[in-house]
Amino acid sequence: MTMPHYPGGVWLVDFEFHPAHGREGNPPVPVCLVAREVASGRTLRLWQYELAQLTAAPFPTDETALFVAYYAPAEMSCFIALGWPVPANVLDLFIAFRRHTNGKRTPAGNGLLGALAYYGLDALAADEKDEMRNLVLRGGPWDAVEQRAILDYCESDVLALAKLLPAMQGDIDWPRASLQGRYAVAVAQIEANGVPIDTDTLAALKTGWQGIQHKLIAAVDADYGVYDGITFKLERFERYLAANRIAWPRTPTGRLDTEDNTFKDMARIHPQLSPLRELRGALSQMRLSALAVGDDGRNRCMLSMYRSKTGRNQPSNTKFIFGPSVWLRGLIQPQPGYGLAYVDWSQQEFGIAAALSGDTAMMTAYASGDPYLAFAKQAGAVPHDATKHSHKAARDQFKACVLAVQYGMGAESLAYRINQPVARARELLDLHRRTYRRFWQWSDGVLHQALLGGRLWTTYGWQLFTDDTPNGRSLCNFPMQANGAEMLRLACIQLIGDGVRICAPVHDAVLIEAPLTELDAVVAHTQSVMRKASAAVLDGFMLESDAKVVRAPERYMDERGERMWNMVMDQLGLTTRKVGDG
Amino acid sequence: MSENTNTLIPGFDLDSLRLPQNFGEALGVKRLITRVPVRKPLKTEFFRVHAGETWRFQTMILELKEEGETFLLAPPVWDVVPELLRPAMLHTAIDRRNNVFLIPVPLPGPDGRRNPWHQSLAEVVAEAENKWVRSVANKHVGGYDMLVAEKDLPEPEWPDMTFQELVQIAFRERLIQSADHPVVTQLLGRS
Repeated sequence: MTMPHYPGGVWLVDFEFHPAHGREGNPPVPVCLVAREVASGRTLRLWQYELAQLTAAPFPTDETALFVAYYAPAEMSCFIALGWPVPANVLDLFIAFRRHTNGKRTPAGNGLLGALAYYGLDALAADEKDEMRNLVLRGGPWDAVEQRAILDYCESDVLALAKLLPAMQGDIDWPRASLQGRYAVAVAQIEANGVPIDTDTLAALKTGWQGIQHKLIAAVDADYGVYDGITFKLERFERYLAANRIAWPRTPTGRLDTEDNTFKDMARIHPQLSPLRELRGALSQMRLSALAVGDDGRNRCMLSMYRSKTGRNQPSNTKFIFGPSVWLRGLIQPQPGYGLAYVDWSQQEFGIAAALSGDTAMMTAYASGDPYLAFAKQAGAVPHDATKHSHKAARDQFKACVLAVQYGMGAESLAYRINQPVARARELLDLHRRTYRRFWQWSDGVLHQALLGGRLWTTYGWQLFTDDTPNGRSLCNFPMQANGAEMLRLACIQLIGDGVRICAPVHDAVLIEAPLTELDAVVAHTQSVMRKASAAVLDGFMLESDAKVVRAPERYMDERGERMWNMVMDQLGLTTRKVGDG
Repeated sequence: MSENTNTLIPGFDLDSLRLPQNFGEALGVKRLITRVPVRKPLKTEFFRVHAGETWRFQTMILELKEEGETFLLAPPVWDVVPELLRPAMLHTAIDRRNNVFLIPVPLPGPDGRRNPWHQSLAEVVAEAENKWVRSVANKHVGGYDMLVAEKDLPEPEWPDMTFQELVQIAFRERLIQSADHPVVTQLLGRS
């Protein structure tokens, strides 16, 4: 399909901006704008004082016109900072490029320069670009020569868009491009909202972190006995595992696998290991200074939409509060008079798999509200009147089996998870195959499509090309992950449109904020929109959601990080900031 | 469970934008059966037997127990090593993972008498036409114990193939059509 006709013009736009006061985490301060209309070549160059005088963009942004940018949330964040109405039609060539090359090699990366290089087009040299970007980030005042240079640099990116758009036209999914552009607008608004942070505790943590590390290791290690000073000792860990009868994955050489992802998986199965994993992460990776918190105490960072292969956001682990150190989420605290709610779809992957495969038994299990117990019943392993209390052990095993299928685990890994012989794990996996035959047929079809057809796609057009070294497990899981991402995008677009203050999208969830007086109603509305978003992706099949509500002055906490948070607060002498039973 | 999704995100007809997720259907990939074992049921497997005359076949077979191999003999070579051949009924069976195999059930000898083990196996096979069963040898009674699945398990998914096709696959490399076949010449001490 070719580009639709836009009587109001096709406008190629780029802003230069820097964070307020040069501080990461602050909203952007627009420095200049260059906009060029494709057909006429008419070009607008406006410096920041001219922008400040406008109440709307100096070009049409209604339904008649198309706004084109590369990574549009950046431009939209300037619109928001200037208080301008956002464009009705946004074409983000970054999204289009990622979509067109997802799974393929892009030798020069996914940025504007990378896209130009991919299409064999000339571009500004990367070092020249860095130099000009640094000049912008330095902040004002800029003299007349610098102003002209910055405007010229800004215009060079617009001219790059003018070359890129015709080159990419045939590769753009025009029917869905505008919907994807809407998400870019929503992302900008979410980034502008940010996550409220308890900055007093953050400051105490930054100041005291070095000083408490030894005490913290001693406090956490009291339950494990695996540290020697600040060194994690493998042989001691081996003894701990043996004493606690925990089967642990090993590397091909027979050594205990201590990769963080292994710790993460094992901590899910054995929650008592969470503080140890958190401690290891905190000692090795945590950089408190990198957390991007603005002057107003809100964590803001680039959400990096569509960065992952599944199309999910991929924000920086160190800049984003929802990075891997889950205990740090205790820093999230609503402002006085406000509340937060973490709303996530219930068993999203299971529900998506059920609906997309059309497996009626699986759909019935999802609709029961407890798919794990329903699976056990459907497989004939527990009586029909069983409950999660009366048959907890069986339910746990069937739950582990469902998750194992979702992660593409084999019988051995599942056996680790459930602490059972491999034969039992094999039996459970067989039961899954027998109970959900339709799902497995469809899943085989996913793999065949990827291997024979060369690509997979989602309901709303995100796609993945099969590379030279296909990973069957990832390919089979793509429809669940990537359609989950579609669902989240639709929900974010609608919620932002409805005026719901989304602080952050997190995998299969949104963190929202509202005044305490409105919180319950906003949560209910959010859940209703999330239900509709799931139905839009799954052809009418609706997924339910769970909401975890936090009211000021409570703080948010992920239960996996609770113990670690409380230990750190103890060490800092901030015992009133502990959470839960403390 | 269904809902008009068009109420979400005004200005977009989401239903018309949705792409199908019926992966693999258009590609027409199907499982090709390349191997059909000829064997007795394992004591650890539940299995079913395809009912009907067209799914069984009476013939002469040659079993080499040491090699664990069963050969099918064409009528012209039935008289070559008669003492080693046995008449058998080949039944089409399937396990719970939809793996197809053929069960040879020896038939009564010329005197009409039948080994009790063979009789017992025939009874198991007959029962398996309607139920998922498992058989375990019981030396004390000289026959097979038959365990029948009590639960209402789903019917097996038989492959889209004819019995003749299955037999051809099963005996592709184990069909003896002449006395020159290496197995026959070895048995006759000619090679």
